[in-house]
Amino acid sequence: MIRRWRARNHAEREFERQALAYLEGLYNFAMALTRDPTEAEDLVQETYFRAFRGAAQKLPTGDVKAWLFTILRNIWINERRRKRRQPDTEELDAEEEDGGSGWRTLADERHRPDVVHEQNALGQEIRRAIESLPAVYREVIVLRFLEGFSYSQIAAIIGCPAGTVMSRISRARAELRKRLTPYRESAASPSSEARERTASGRIREAGEIHG
Amino acid sequence: MGEHVVHLIELYLDEELQGEERRQFEAHVAECAECWARLEHEQRLMALLAHARPLYDVPESVRRHIEQLGARPFWTRVRVFKWTLGLAAVILTALVIRVVVHDAVRRSAADRADHRSEFALLAADTHQRWVRGQLPLEIRSQSPEEISAWFADKVPFNLKLPSFRELPGQPKPYQLEGARLVGFKNDYAAYITYRMRNRPISLLVTSETVARPSGGEEIRSQGLVFHFEEINGWKILTWSDRGLTYALVSDFEERGQASCIVCHPSASEQRKLEDLRR
Repeated sequence: MIRRWRARNHAEREFERQALAYLEGLYNFAMALTRDPTEAEDLVQETYFRAFRGAAQKLPTGDVKAWLFTILRNIWINERRRKRRQPDTEELDAEEEDGGSGWRTLADERHRPDVVHEQNALGQEIRRAIESLPAVYREVIVLRFLEGFSYSQIAAIIGCPAGTVMSRISRARAELRKRLTPYRESAASPSSEARERTASGRIREAGEIHG
Repeated sequence: MGEHVVHLIELYLDEELQGEERRQFEAHVAECAECWARLEHEQRLMALLAHARPLYDVPESVRRHIEQLGARPFWTRVRVFKWTLGLAAVILTALVIRVVVHDAVRRSAADRADHRSEFALLAADTHQRWVRGQLPLEIRSQSPEEISAWFADKVPFNLKLPSFRELPGQPKPYQLEGARLVGFKNDYAAYITYRMRNRPISLLVTSETVARPSGGEEIRSQGLVFHFEEINGWKILTWSDRGLTYALVSDFEERGQASCIVCHPSASEQRKLEDLRR
């Protein structure tokens, strides 16, 4: 029995170690969803609290990372529903209608020391571009391009068909493309050497960039 | 460039094209400058995003809080463990109660043994000695009248044994064997012995002022209170009636109620003893 207890304790510690490795990704996802540092902090803390509590009852057997992101998103969705039911609350869906103009964005708070990520101008522009997208696009952008989830994993996390994920990612990418075109042209431009590579080499390179 | 091609490029970059579809796409892009240019275009967008990661730094306070959350002993945050603790507490309490109750029951049984009717103990002991041949009878007779007369000037109470009226076709089911005196509390009690189907039955009688039935299992029947006990394998029924206290000893089934026949031989009287059955 003591051996089982120790094994269980060890498994739990291991799970906690794994879970803590996703803190940055979860916080970025929370920020992408809420665009509010205080809300994001609460969201992440609640996510970990529930995850640790849940794991103590039964350790997750599958993908821990996807499990954590699913928990976080579910908490956020429930919180949104709760706020919607409350009078005198800002209509959170407004962003879906007008592409985000109804939202206070992080760009408005960029002078707050706890918010500003000291990055180069390009980084800030990318962040602003993502923040300006509607929530449905922001979440798939973060999950796909920053966290590297596959379409099927994203479908499981946000609870919709893979086809919907595919079309949302495509539209989100198009929106982002529009907002970032000037930067994209100046950054990460392929070298002349690369242009001279063979077609198969180019394909391989293309595959490696993302992989 | 058509939307379909753009979509294929996106799927390719997102590792969502597999197998033959992927090979066909690669073969096409290797030969198509326009698709290749578009592929590069999309790659740059993805490279930009990759460079931007992380978009936000985790505040140190949040990191600390969550690390502390993980470091807390898990029983302080685990509901199931609290349940387990609660369950363990309940089980422990139940065990303690069981031990206490068991002890109380054991003590109670011991107390009952200690408080067994002295009269019943005497009846059992006398019966056993008689069965073993260690206690001779002072009078041997099958006549209840004769034995009643023998007791008349020996015990401080009036004892009249019932007579069994034999009818044609109804032989007497038991035989009176004899009697003797037994010392009890500075006086004598009447001891009468019977046999039924060759099994011994004895009746010890004294005055109600000398002994009152007590202990054992109480059975109320026909306005009387019987006390039933088993002592050394003998079934003992004790009761008081009309100033006398009786102890009937036998090894008959259940509570030994069959031995009551020595005083209640008729079928109607036997039916009245139904309450003594288990």
